[in-house]
Amino acid sequence: MQAEQRLHPLSILFRLAAQVRSFAVPGVAVLATAGAVGWGWQVWLMPLAIPFAILSVVEYLSFRYRYDAHEMVIRTGFLFRNERHVPYARIQNLHAVQNVFHRLWKVVEVRVETGGADEPEATLSVLPVSAYEEMRRRVFGERREPAEETEPAAPDKTLLYLPPPELMLAGFIQNRGFVVLAAAFGLLWELGVIDRLLGKELSGRSLTKAIVAVLLGRGEFPLTGIALTVAALISLVVVSRVLSMGWALVSLHGFRLRLAGEDLRAEYGLLTHVKTTIALRRIQTLTVRQGVLHRLFKRAAVRVGLAGGGGEEGEGKTQREWLAPILPQDELPRLLSEVLGERDFASIFAGMAWRGVHPRAFRREVKGWVLVAVLISVPFVLPLKGWVLLLLAGLLAWAFVAARQTIARMGWAVSEGSVLFRSGWLRRQVTAVQFTQIQAVTVRESPFDRRTGMASVRVDTAGAGELSHRVDIPYLPRETAWELCALLATQAGRTAFRW
Amino acid sequence: MVTPDLAPDLSHPEPASEPASIADGIERRLDPRVMALNRIVGGIVAAAISLSQLVALLVIYFVADDLPGWVMALFVLLWVIVTLILAWSSHRWPAVEHRHTSYKLDERGIEIRKGVYWRRVIHVPRSRVQHTDVSQGPIERGFGLGTLVIYTAGTDHARVDLPGLEHATALQIRDYLLPDDEDAG
Repeated sequence: MQAEQRLHPLSILFRLAAQVRSFAVPGVAVLATAGAVGWGWQVWLMPLAIPFAILSVVEYLSFRYRYDAHEMVIRTGFLFRNERHVPYARIQNLHAVQNVFHRLWKVVEVRVETGGADEPEATLSVLPVSAYEEMRRRVFGERREPAEETEPAAPDKTLLYLPPPELMLAGFIQNRGFVVLAAAFGLLWELGVIDRLLGKELSGRSLTKAIVAVLLGRGEFPLTGIALTVAALISLVVVSRVLSMGWALVSLHGFRLRLAGEDLRAEYGLLTHVKTTIALRRIQTLTVRQGVLHRLFKRAAVRVGLAGGGGEEGEGKTQREWLAPILPQDELPRLLSEVLGERDFASIFAGMAWRGVHPRAFRREVKGWVLVAVLISVPFVLPLKGWVLLLLAGLLAWAFVAARQTIARMGWAVSEGSVLFRSGWLRRQVTAVQFTQIQAVTVRESPFDRRTGMASVRVDTAGAGELSHRVDIPYLPRETAWELCALLATQAGRTAFRW
Repeated sequence: MVTPDLAPDLSHPEPASEPASIADGIERRLDPRVMALNRIVGGIVAAAISLSQLVALLVIYFVADDLPGWVMALFVLLWVIVTLILAWSSHRWPAVEHRHTSYKLDERGIEIRKGVYWRRVIHVPRSRVQHTDVSQGPIERGFGLGTLVIYTAGTDHARVDLPGLEHATALQIRDYLLPDDEDAG
C-alpha cells in the first residue's frame, strides 16, 4: 500500500477564493444596480469570511488520496467521513484544468471521470503538476493489458493542430459573441441608456411606434431611423464576430488533438488550460456539422457524443466533446478514418456511397413546410390585407425550395464498420454510429408511412440526446428499411459492446 | 431479402409441444389470456374515469342550480356517450392490440412488434442486453402472466417492456437473453 497524499497547500487559498467569489458575484450585482447605497455595512460582513477560512483549512486537512494496486482511494470529510474507491479500469478520463492562477503556482485541478456518473467521480483541486503526471501514469499505466505492455508503446500521433488563423476562422464562423451582445443591447434598451444617448427620436422605442403608425396608414416613413437601426445591427454583427474571434483565439489557443494508443488526447486554452483524454471506445456517435459559412470557407466542425453511462439502468447521459472545432473539409475523411478506424470514408464523403430516400418523400416533406408557411401568414391577414398573398407566395416558394433541398440532401450510407446519416440543407449534419455502439434498431411505420409504402429506421445508442443529431432515417422505401434493419441488427449482434 | 409484413406473420402453425429452443425465429403472439387481463385493467380505468365524471356532474347539479335545464341535459348526454365509448374500447381494444403485438427470438436477438396505428418493430441484439427482469403484478399473477423487461445501454430503448407473456415463457426468454458470461458464472 502506498502512503497517503494530500492536495497542494494552495488548495486552501483556491477553495476560499471560490467561496468568496460565489458571494462576490451577487454582491457586485447589488452594488451595480443599487448604486449609491452606503458602504459602511460592507465592513461588518468581513468577519463572516472567518468560518469559511476555517472550513477551507479543515477540508484541506481531511482530504487524502492514495494509489492501491488496482484502485484509487479518496478519503474526505472530518465529521462525516467518506472513503471512495475508484478502480483504475473504470476511470475514463482525467480532465485537467489550469486557469491563470493555477499556472502561476504550477498547480492543476483534476476531475476523475468514470462512465457511471453524470458528474465527476472526484475533483481534486488543486494538485501540483508533478502529482497530476504521476496520477496519469498510475491510472492509465495500470489499465493497459499485460500483452500491450510488452509491445513498444505506439508513439503519439498528432491528428489535428489549429494555428491562430484557423482559430480566428472558427470564432468567426461560430459567432459566440452575438448572444452576449444582443443581451447587452436588450439590457441597455430596457434601462433607457440608448434613449438617453441617441435621443428619443432615433431610439428603437419611438422607431417601433413610427413603423406601427405607418402600417396603420398614419404618419411618415421613418427613413433615418430605419437606416440608423440597420447600421447599428450591422455594426453589432461585425463587433460580435470580432469578439467571437478573440474568444476562440484565447479559449482554444494551441488546440492539439493527438492519438495515443486507444486514447484521444485534446489540449487547448491560453488562460485556462484544458487537457482531456477520451478513450476511443467511449465514442458513441460522431457528428460532422457544416453551416453555410463552413461551406464558404470549405471547413467543417466535428463533435463526438460520449456516454456518461448512468449506471446499471443504462439511462444514458449525454456529453458532447469537440473533436475539431474547425477542420479543412479535405481532412475530414482522414480524421474520421483515424478515429473510427476505417478506410473507406473517402468514398462516402466524395458522395459515391450515399443512398437517398423514397422518391415520393418530397411530397410528404413539403406538406409540413406549407403548413408552417400558412400559419406564419395568418397573423398578417389584418395588417397587410391583400398584400398578405404576396407574403404567402414568398413563403410558399421558400417552402418548396427548402423541402426540395432537404430531401435531395438527405441520405444514408453503410461503411465497413459504421452506419451514417446525413440531413439538413443550410445547416448540414452527418452522424456516424459504429456497429459496436448500436444498442437497438427500430423500424417504425406511421399511418402516413403505410399509405405511401415507407418506413423509418432509428438507431439507438447510449447517450443520445433528443435534441442532438442522430441516425434516424425517415422516408425510406419499406423494403430498404427492412434490409437496413436486418443488416444493422446482424452486424450489431456479431460484435460486443464495451463500456 | 424477403420483406416481412409489419402485421405478424402467423402462417406457421403453433407448435403443439414445447419446442427445443425458444429461439427458433418464429413469430409468436402474446398469451391470449392477456386480452382478458387488459379488459379488466381497462375496465377499472374506464370505471374510474366515468365515476369521477359522474361525481363532477353531481357537484355541478347541486352547486350551480341556476344552470338552464338543457345545459344539464347536454352534460348528462355527454357523460353517457363518453362512458359508452370507454366501455366499448376497453372491451374491444385489447383484442386489436393483441392482433398487432408479437415477438420473435432468433440467434441474433429479440424482435418486438407493437402498435396498431403507429407501428414499430424494436430489435435488440442479444449481445446488447444489459440485464432483464421478469415482473408480475397482482392481476397478472392471477392469470399466470408476467412482464419481461429488457434493459439496454441505449437512450430511447434503455428499457423495453414485453407484457402479457405466460410467466414460464417469460422466464424462458429471460434465460435465453441473459449474457453468456453470466450464465457461466
